[in-house]
Amino acid sequence: MALQLNLLHEEFTQERQRKRDPLKLGIIALIAFGAILFLYYGWNAYQTIQIKSRLNASEAEWQKVEPKVTAAQKRATELRQIIDSTKVLDGLIDQRFYWAPFLAKVAQCVAPNIQLTTLEGSLIENDNSVAVSIEGLAAAREPRAAAEEFRQLLAEQLEKSYADVKVAFKNLEDLDTMVNLGGLPTPSARFIVTVTLNRQEAGPTKAAEPAKPIAHTK
Amino acid sequence: MMPKKLNKDQIQKIILSTLGFVGLIYCYFNFFLGPLNKSRETMTAAIADVDAKTASSKTELKKTANLELQAKEATSRYEALKHTTADGAPIAWFPPKMRTFFADRGIDKVTARLESSGDFKQPELSDWIKDTWAIELPESDYSDLGKAIADLENSEPLLAIHRVAIHAEPEQPQYQQVSLSAQTALLKQ
Repeated sequence: MALQLNLLHEEFTQERQRKRDPLKLGIIALIAFGAILFLYYGWNAYQTIQIKSRLNASEAEWQKVEPKVTAAQKRATELRQIIDSTKVLDGLIDQRFYWAPFLAKVAQCVAPNIQLTTLEGSLIENDNSVAVSIEGLAAAREPRAAAEEFRQLLAEQLEKSYADVKVAFKNLEDLDTMVNLGGLPTPSARFIVTVTLNRQEAGPTKAAEPAKPIAHTK
Repeated sequence: MMPKKLNKDQIQKIILSTLGFVGLIYCYFNFFLGPLNKSRETMTAAIADVDAKTASSKTELKKTANLELQAKEATSRYEALKHTTADGAPIAWFPPKMRTFFADRGIDKVTARLESSGDFKQPELSDWIKDTWAIELPESDYSDLGKAIADLENSEPLLAIHRVAIHAEPEQPQYQQVSLSAQTALLKQ
């Protein structure tokens, strides 16, 4: 076997060590890994830029819509307030008691031998009813009967339009003085009738439908 | 051929490389990728928020448009009711208005005075004021009175007569003395 002498042994070792230098290899690995990380970062940054542009578009749309929405919300609040107010006002209007038809009904019941001197009526709050006091004179051979006839007729007429009608005498007294009815002296009686009724009614009379006047007797 | 043992210099270099690697990872995640991801998440959340707001706003716009259609009648009615209130203090214009109203219907010498004024109990009527007026008609024919009250009730929807007192005048039996108590709903000035 031939003897081989490696006279460059040290040089070879150094060359080998230079090639396998851990620092050099580490730097190469670090650069390679850094490049991969950079690419990954670039990909993420690209996606972020896309998201940013989407956000800008969304914000631009919102900027366009926002003033309209603010105005719409304000208008909606205003409209709701108008609707509610109108509803309550309509309720007030609907709950009104119309006196003209009532006065017309009273006038229809006054016969020539009846004279009304006072009519006082008022709405009873929280009760939905109306209280009326009617004072007058009845003249006839039987003045009390004439007053009763008036009371009955009034109740009959009012029941046609109102609910819970009650017509009652508060006072009925004969008078000593005779009144002149159709040129004849006639006995008379003073009466006070109280009327209570529910406000429920068909509606207001038309302006062209006048109330009949109270007939006066002498 | 691999050396069996690493010398001191090589170990130091390996440690240095490892430290560099760890530093790179730390810096990358803490100063680059971390903030980027955070900002992306923030923006994604902001997009979702803005999109939701825009969508709900569009729904709101549609609802308002529908409400506008529904409220058309109420709005015109409310405007009409508002116009029943004249400009200025009611005490300045309501008595003359009543005087003219009844004079046009043959009832003269009418006076009206303000008895009380206050707010409505209903919160919906916070813009309205409740006034109670005493209206005196010293000389009135019953027929004219009936027509006038009917006209008043028909032409003034926000006026409600709460009390009526009619007294025959002994000296002038064709006339009655009338007192009315009327409540009005007027727009606050």
